[in-house]
Amino acid sequence: MPQTTFDIFRYQPDFADESYRQSYALDHEPELTILDAVLRLQNEQDGTLAVRYSCRSAICGSCACRVNGKTVLACMTQVEDVKKEFGSDTVQVDPIGNFAPIKDLVVDMDPFWEKFKSVKPFLVPDGPAPEKERIVSKEAMQKIYNESKCILCAACYSECNSFAADEEFVGPAAFVWGYRFAGDERDGQRKARAKLYSGQHGVWDCTRCMYCNERCPKGVDPRDAIEKLGGIAFNEGISWADSGARHAKAFLISVRTGGKLNETLLVPFTAPIQSQMDMPFALRMLRKGKAPSPIPHRVKKRSEVNKLMKNVKETI
Amino acid sequence: MAQKFAYYPGCVAEFSSKELNATTKALAPMLDIELLPMPAATCCGAGDIAEAKPNLYLTLNVRILSQAEEMGADVMTICNVCTLNLRRANKIVKDDPRILEAVNEELIKAGARPYEGTREVTHLLWFLATEEGLSLLEKQGPKGLNGLRVAPYYGCQLLRPSSVMGFEDPDRPQSLERLIRALGGEVADYEAKSRCCGFPIILAREAVALKESHVALSQARDAGADCMVTPCPLCHLAMDAYQSKAEAANDAEYNMPVLHLPQLIGMALGMDQSILQFKRHMVSMDNVVEIVGA
Ligand code: SF4
Ligand code: SF4
Ligand code: SF4
Ligand code: SF4
Repeated sequence: MPQTTFDIFRYQPDFADESYRQSYALDHEPELTILDAVLRLQNEQDGTLAVRYSCRSAICGSCACRVNGKTVLACMTQVEDVKKEFGSDTVQVDPIGNFAPIKDLVVDMDPFWEKFKSVKPFLVPDGPAPEKERIVSKEAMQKIYNESKCILCAACYSECNSFAADEEFVGPAAFVWGYRFAGDERDGQRKARAKLYSGQHGVWDCTRCMYCNERCPKGVDPRDAIEKLGGIAFNEGISWADSGARHAKAFLISVRTGGKLNETLLVPFTAPIQSQMDMPFALRMLRKGKAPSPIPHRVKKRSEVNKLMKNVKETI
Repeated sequence: MAQKFAYYPGCVAEFSSKELNATTKALAPMLDIELLPMPAATCCGAGDIAEAKPNLYLTLNVRILSQAEEMGADVMTICNVCTLNLRRANKIVKDDPRILEAVNEELIKAGARPYEGTREVTHLLWFLATEEGLSLLEKQGPKGLNGLRVAPYYGCQLLRPSSVMGFEDPDRPQSLERLIRALGGEVADYEAKSRCCGFPIILAREAVALKESHVALSQARDAGADCMVTPCPLCHLAMDAYQSKAEAANDAEYNMPVLHLPQLIGMALGMDQSILQFKRHMVSMDNVVEIVGA
C-alpha cells in the first residue's frame, strides 16, 4: 500500500492571521485522486481542512487547485501519477493562484464571477422570436464546440500573467464565454460584443503567455478564443478603436508592403500618443540601432504574398 | 558533413536585434551546421496576423514550411514566437489533411509551391540542448564562462502550449540550464523563468507589460544573477531595451545585462566582440565581459 505525505497550504483566518503549511501522512490504495486524498484527510485526521468540491467527476468545476505548483482539477489527478512525474513521495497542495484564499484550499471566486457576468454570457438573438426554435446547423455549432466545454473551474486564471499584473483584466474563461456567444450564429450582438470586449482590460490585454491553454483541464484553449474575438473585432470593422488592434494592423500592412515586419510602423500605429511623448526613450533606442529603417523589408516572390493577401478568405 | 537547416531568423533578429542574427550566423560553422537562407520567407505574423486573419496566418506560415521542404531541410529558428507560429501551422495542417488541401489550393492559386507536410521546425536551443548538440559544443573546447552566474529566462512561447511545442516539460524546463552548465557557467535559479516578459502587449498596454517583466527581472536579481540569457529576441527587447522603463515603473533597480542565447555560447567559445556586438544592448555588458574575461 503506497504511503504519501501531503504538504498542504493552510489558512485559518479565525485562528491565525498568517497562512502556514501542514504535513499529513496517508496510507492509501494505488488508485486515489488528490481530491479523495484531501477528503480522507478531512474525515480521518483533521476536520478543519477546507476544500471546495461537489461532483468529484470533473464536471462541476469546483475543485481546481495547485498540485506541486501546477493548476489541475483535484478530482481528475491521480496521486500516484503526480508522485511518479515529480519523483517524490511528498505532494504539495495549494489553492489556485491569483485569487485571495478564504480558508485553506478555498479561494474567493467573486472576482471570477464578476468577470464572467461582464461579458454577457447568454444568447441575445436579433429580431422577433420565430414560431418554433432557432435551428442551428451542425457546422455552425462545431465552431463554438470547444468553448462550450468550459466548466468554469478558473484553472485558466491561476497562472494568467496578464491577470497577475492587472486584476481588472477580464481574462481567459470570461472570454471563452464571450466567444461562445459572439461565435453563435443565433446571436445578434456580434458587433456590440466585439466592442465590449475590445476596451481596456479586454482581449488586447492578453499577453499570450499561453498558461490558460496549458492548464485548462477540458482542452478549451482559452487563448484561441481570445484570438478569435480579436478576429471578430477586425471583421466587424472596429479594429482601429484600440491600440492592440492597431498593433495587429501594422503587421498586416508590413506583410502587404514588403513581406516582413516593418517595426517602424509598429510604434506610431500602436501607441501614437506615447511615441510622441517618449522621445528620450525613442532616441536611446535609435542610438543603439533599435529604431529600424522606415523602408519596407522586401522578401522575394512578393507576388505570391500579395495574391494570398487578396484571395484568402476568413471564416471566423 | 555539415547538417543543413532552412534558417528562419525572424524579423526582429534581422532588424532591431541584428546582433542576434550576426552571432548565430557566426556560430553555425563552429558547430558544423549550415544555415540556408530563405529569401522568400515572410514574417510569421507573431500571433498578430493569426489574431486578425487566421486563415491568412495559416497560409503564410505553410508557405514558409513549403519553401523549407523545397530546400530539403527542416526549419531552424532563433525566436520563441516564430517557433510557436510555424509549429502551430505545421501541426494544424499535419493533423488534418482537409485543411492542408484547402491551404495548398490557395498556395497554388497564388503561384506558390504546395506543402506536403514533411518538415519539422526546431529552435537553436532545442538543437543544442540534446546529446548531439552538447557534443558539438564540447568539440569546440569552449574556454568557458568562468563561473558567470546566469539566470535562464525562457519566456512563454517556446514552452507553451506544450501540445504544440513539446520539447520539454513547460513547468520544469532544463535546456538552458544544461547549456549554461556545459559552458562553465553557474545557474541562478528562480521561479519566474518561464513567465511572460510582457512583450506582446508592451506597445499597446505598457503599464501592464512592465509589471510582468518586473517579476522575472527582480527575481533574477534576487537570485544573484550576473546576467540573464534568453532564446528569444522579443524577450530580449522587453528585458533589455525596456529595462530602464520597468525600473522606473516599478520603482526598482535590476542592473541586469541580458544576453541572446547565441551570444552566451559565442562568449564561451571566445567569439570576437565585433560579432557579439554588446554595444547594441541597452544595459551595459561590461561586468559580464569582465567576469568571463572575453
Ligand atoms: S471539479 Fe468538479 S468535478 Fe472536480 S470535484 Fe471538482 S467538483 Fe468535482
Ligand atoms: S476555460 Fe478551461 S480552465 Fe478556464 S474555466 Fe473553462 S474549463 Fe476551466
Ligand atoms: S494567454 Fe492571455 S488569457 Fe491566457 S493565461 Fe496568458 S495572458 Fe491570460
Ligand atoms: S515573430 Fe517575430 S520575429 Fe518572429 S517573424 Fe515574426 S515578427 Fe518576426
